Amino acid sequence: MAIPVEEAIAALSTFSLEDEQPDVQGLAVFLSSERYATNSPIEYGDVAAYRLSLAEDTKAINQLNTLIQEGKEMASLLYTYRSCVKALPQLPDSMKHSQADLYLETYQVLDLEMSRLREIQRWQASAASKLAADMQRFSRPERLINGPTTTHFWSMLKLLDVLVQLDHLKNAKASIPNDFSWYKRTFTQVSARWQDTDSMREELDDLQIFLSTRWAILLNLHAEMFRTNTVEDILQVLIVFCVESLELDFALLFPERHTLLRVLPVLVVLATSSEKDSESLYKRVKINRLLNIFKNDIVIPAFPDLHLSPAAMLKELSMYFPSFSGQTRLLSLPAPHEIPSRELQDYQRHYLIVNHIGTIRAEHDDFSIRFASAMNQIVILKSSDGADIEWSREVKGNMYDLVVEGFQLLSRWTGRVWEQCAWKFSRPCKEPASLDFHDNATTFFDYEKVVRWNYATEERKALLELVSYIKSVGLMMQHCDTLVADALWETIHAEVQDFVQDKLDTMLRTTFRKKKDLSRILSDMRTLSADWMANTSKTEPELRSLNQESDETKQNTFYPRPVAPTAAQVHCLQFLICELVSGGNLRKPGGLFGNSGSGFSVEDLKQLETFFYKLSFFLHILDYTATIGTVTDVGFLWFREFYLESSRVIQFPIECSLPWMLVDHVIESQDAGLLGSILMPFDIYNDSAQHALSVLKQRFLYDEIEAEVDLCFDQLVYKLNEIIFSYYKSCAASALLDQSFLSACDDVDKYSVKPIRFDEIFKLRRVKVLGRSIDLRNLITQRMNKLFRENIDYLFDHFENQDLCAIVELEQLLDILKLTHQLLSKDLELDSYTLMLNEMQENLSLVSFSSRVSYQIWNAMQNDFLPNFILCNTTQRFIRSSKGARHAPQKTTIPSRKPYFYCGSQDLNLAYQSLAELYSEFFGIPHMFALVRLLGSRSLPWIIRALLDHISSKITAIVPQITGLQEALPKSIGLLPFDGGIAGCQKIIHEQLTWGAKSDLKTEVLHGLKEIGSALYWMSLLDIVLRQVDTTQFMQVAPWLGLVPGTDGELKQADNDNSPIVNLLKSATNAIISNPTCPNPSSFLIMSKQAEAADILYKTITNAGSVLEYTLAFTSAALDRHYNKWSAAPKTGFIDITASRDFYRIFSGLQFGYLEETILDPSKKHELLGDSVAWAGCTIIYLLGQQQHFELFDFSYQFLNVAEVESVTVSQPLSCERGRSANYLQGYENLLEAMKKARRLNNHVFSMLRARCPLEEKVACAIKQSGAPQHRVKFVNTVSAFETLPQKGA
Amino acid sequence: MSRAGGITNAVNVGIAVQADWENREFISNISLNVRRLFEFLLQFEATTKSKLAALNEKLDILERRLEVLEVQVSTATTNPSVFT
Repeated sequence: MAIPVEEAIAALSTFSLEDEQPDVQGLAVFLSSERYATNSPIEYGDVAAYRLSLAEDTKAINQLNTLIQEGKEMASLLYTYRSCVKALPQLPDSMKHSQADLYLETYQVLDLEMSRLREIQRWQASAASKLAADMQRFSRPERLINGPTTTHFWSMLKLLDVLVQLDHLKNAKASIPNDFSWYKRTFTQVSARWQDTDSMREELDDLQIFLSTRWAILLNLHAEMFRTNTVEDILQVLIVFCVESLELDFALLFPERHTLLRVLPVLVVLATSSEKDSESLYKRVKINRLLNIFKNDIVIPAFPDLHLSPAAMLKELSMYFPSFSGQTRLLSLPAPHEIPSRELQDYQRHYLIVNHIGTIRAEHDDFSIRFASAMNQIVILKSSDGADIEWSREVKGNMYDLVVEGFQLLSRWTGRVWEQCAWKFSRPCKEPASLDFHDNATTFFDYEKVVRWNYATEERKALLELVSYIKSVGLMMQHCDTLVADALWETIHAEVQDFVQDKLDTMLRTTFRKKKDLSRILSDMRTLSADWMANTSKTEPELRSLNQESDETKQNTFYPRPVAPTAAQVHCLQFLICELVSGGNLRKPGGLFGNSGSGFSVEDLKQLETFFYKLSFFLHILDYTATIGTVTDVGFLWFREFYLESSRVIQFPIECSLPWMLVDHVIESQDAGLLGSILMPFDIYNDSAQHALSVLKQRFLYDEIEAEVDLCFDQLVYKLNEIIFSYYKSCAASALLDQSFLSACDDVDKYSVKPIRFDEIFKLRRVKVLGRSIDLRNLITQRMNKLFRENIDYLFDHFENQDLCAIVELEQLLDILKLTHQLLSKDLELDSYTLMLNEMQENLSLVSFSSRVSYQIWNAMQNDFLPNFILCNTTQRFIRSSKGARHAPQKTTIPSRKPYFYCGSQDLNLAYQSLAELYSEFFGIPHMFALVRLLGSRSLPWIIRALLDHISSKITAIVPQITGLQEALPKSIGLLPFDGGIAGCQKIIHEQLTWGAKSDLKTEVLHGLKEIGSALYWMSLLDIVLRQVDTTQFMQVAPWLGLVPGTDGELKQADNDNSPIVNLLKSATNAIISNPTCPNPSSFLIMSKQAEAADILYKTITNAGSVLEYTLAFTSAALDRHYNKWSAAPKTGFIDITASRDFYRIFSGLQFGYLEETILDPSKKHELLGDSVAWAGCTIIYLLGQQQHFELFDFSYQFLNVAEVESVTVSQPLSCERGRSANYLQGYENLLEAMKKARRLNNHVFSMLRARCPLEEKVACAIKQSGAPQHRVKFVNTVSAFETLPQKGA
Repeated sequence: MSRAGGITNAVNVGIAVQADWENREFISNISLNVRRLFEFLLQFEATTKSKLAALNEKLDILERRLEVLEVQVSTATTNPSVFT
């Protein structure tokens, strides 16, 4: 061998095996064989080597162990038995003739099952007779053979336990006799044609008696045992053994403890059932000790969902064992359902984990810390060469103590879980309906009563916590298995050697000097286990010094070897100690270590006792992995075969399943502390699956577990995602919530989010479930990506069902979502938000500029906003007209979604909703900002273009109507005469405007104008907002582009050659390239190129034009097509007053009529059309170059002039007749006021137009020198923009 | 044999037991190291799985990005007219 094994293994530790994954799961399935050292892997074949004449005993042990193994398989067969009859098909009437075939088939199917039952019947008979024979053989008073040993006791007790369990199961399973009677019926049908069926019939009757008799197995055993009536002694010995072990409770793990508790009542019944001497038992064991044990454990777990109660069992058995019925004290014990309520409280306190969880938590914390530090010490010890021997022994001894403590803790905890389950099963919840108000119609399974409604919230929490403790401590201990194994062996070796070499030596020299028999036993113990040469590996000088030392101290000093004693050695030592203290007489009164009559000193007895029990625990420690597996197995929490049968269903829904209830509890409670344990319940499933496969050996159970786990895991991932998403969303929402709102708010806490840490869950890349390894992080990421898309989609849907005003809300919600994405991206690798948004906007294509939002906005504008919203010029807002028909698209009702699609929590949702409501009634600057941000520079041009086309088409649409109105005008319209006063003027106007029959045209034109005006004003709003956005951007960009204001306010490039950004990156790149140490400058070159590109791109942006000016230019161009119709060139070349039918005249008439109408019917006031009519009218007039004509000849203006003159002429000379003048103007005040308002508005619009779209040149050139009018004038300011625009239909 | 105990040939048994202790020291040493080797393999597998999962995640992201880019390119190539 070239390299020593240790070195090779140590070299492995140089590999880096770091893993980010936290341990939030217990042990998954581990490799373990079925036979561990505890059971002696070689079936005590090596016992013979010690020549203790134990051959008979060993043979008996092996025989019993085989029976136990078989019996357990029988028990799992019975436990998992499911009724076949329920699955049998019914024949339809049409097939009645083949009834006989069905019987035959049924018979064959059932025969297979029944043959198994028959096998159980046969087996129990043979097992009972073998057990009885074994007991009789080893209880002969004359003692011809050695034994029984302690191991033998255990085998007897375990076999007895198996028999009791079988009996209990047979009693509890109703489907077995059920199936049997069906089987018998088919048998009579089928066997009619057979011959010679008598023997079969007999066999059937036998089986029927066996199946239908309660406690048949026990009765049979009793009969077998008392055939010769010599077993009372050994029964009493077994009872004493049980009682002592239970009372000491040191070396017992919970399965053994439960076994003893189950067997004890049966043993008592058997021991007191013989005719003679039934009281002799109490001479050896005081009845109070028994009563105490029975009282302390009033329910004992037997099977996952079946429990035993000693009191009830004793009572029932008293009917079958007449001589036992005299034991009134035992029979007066209360069964679980008879406990008086006062004691019930005590039991409740004892059984419910929730009452102990505080202590358990403290124990867990304390133990984990000490265990971890002991482990560190071991690591340090291993890494240091030539450590001090004393210290190393201390460290290892400490480790050993902690492992013992750990096993005891785990065993106690898991035992508690079992016992709580048994207690819950024995006390079903009384009225589940009161707990569940919305589900009262359905009936409840019994299983729901004992499980689903039987665990309160705190109890679920406590159970989950305890399971997590069990699993995490188990995992911690399992992880250091190979690290501590040799230390444990060494310590055990040292303990054994210390006892046999040292303590026994002392005893031999003192107490036992005179007693030949006993000292022989002592020396046998030394012979069979002492390791005298353990120090030979030490170097010579050390040995010498040791020898000197030992000479001086007269002691055997030894060095421990990392080798543990074998099971056979432990077995023999235990046997010899028993022999020693009992003096070979099992019938000695007082129990094993209880007497002092045999001349031992108390001290020696104590030492022997301690060592005896230590020996039995050694086996558990040597079986490190298997023991951990046993004491951390909580798979029983899933099994419910018994209740399945009594409920007559195939399987219960997962809500009834305890593991899922625990998961669900974590999800529902959103307890940050429990989140780490969310995967622990899946360990229960792992254990259950392992149990189903390797113990119960039933494929169908595994399949059911697998199906449930699949479902549960899906649910878990789904719900976990919801929790995570809504948590991050509420974080984002609460961060984005308006600070001034928060500071004014009373209970701010409502809007702050309690921190929860998910990073442990995010790190789980391999979760072990049923042997599969699942990448939970990947699953979460996948679903999170999906959830984001769904959310975006939902927000758009939500927006599409509202009007344009909801755009502010949409932007808010999208902002929250974006921040959520940012926060989550710190932990998870999500798709980029922009990509997802583009995807959901259907905007991924490189050549499409519309998007879902822009399309929706345009849709809303066209169908709802432009027709139904009216403008208020003063507030710069559009509001919904109350009269306007709501042409809004049919709103499909979206199902209200979960709160996490909005802002996470209900409170935040409310806050944001009330915030959004402020914006929901109008459309103004904030909406326009939201719109610009949502659409971005990509879709905005699209919508501008769409709107411009809309304006142009609307203009075209009103052309025929206007023509109609023009035709209806009288041939000549003069100026209003002043002499008629305002009343006369009104009359004249009415006469001239003979449009009465054409009121349809009038409204159509007005509506058309209103839409055009709204669109124009919308553009001006957009212009304001874009200016602001552009300016901000410009301020940020200008320093980088090196732009500075020139003397006249124009832009100037500071440097002529390059902008600062290009210079900066260029010089940086040059510096780096010139540095020889730089290996790869290409990325810097790319950066410098990119800077140049950015420079060009941003420079073009700074030259952006104005949207409003562009719009006006476009409108002007659109009007040019109709120029001839709306602006007739005067034939004379001078202003045409009377015959003019230009647009201004039409608008003037419309305005007058409209103003009059609103006065006459105040309810219509400003509700129908708003200020946008004036916007459209004035713009068209202005663009047609008729502004001054309009201001001169408008009816309202003239009317106002007349009124002004009149009020002056009337009021001045006749100041005394003030009342009259007031009267005179009475009735016209409102009209005048409205006209003034209209004039002000018109003036406002005209001044804006003059500023944004100067037409001086047009006016100046309107009439040429020659007198011929110039119709078409180009606008200097927007020429370029206009020329490049592709005209629709041009 | 009337009494319990009694190793019939105590000296021989003692020698055999001593030899057994030494043999078992060798056996337990070997078996412990085999177990350590085994544990190393298990742990190696676990951590490798984690690392592969991390790699897989990155590949996944790249794949999805590539898909998006492909879609974008395809929209461009199906409408060559807009680029002329």
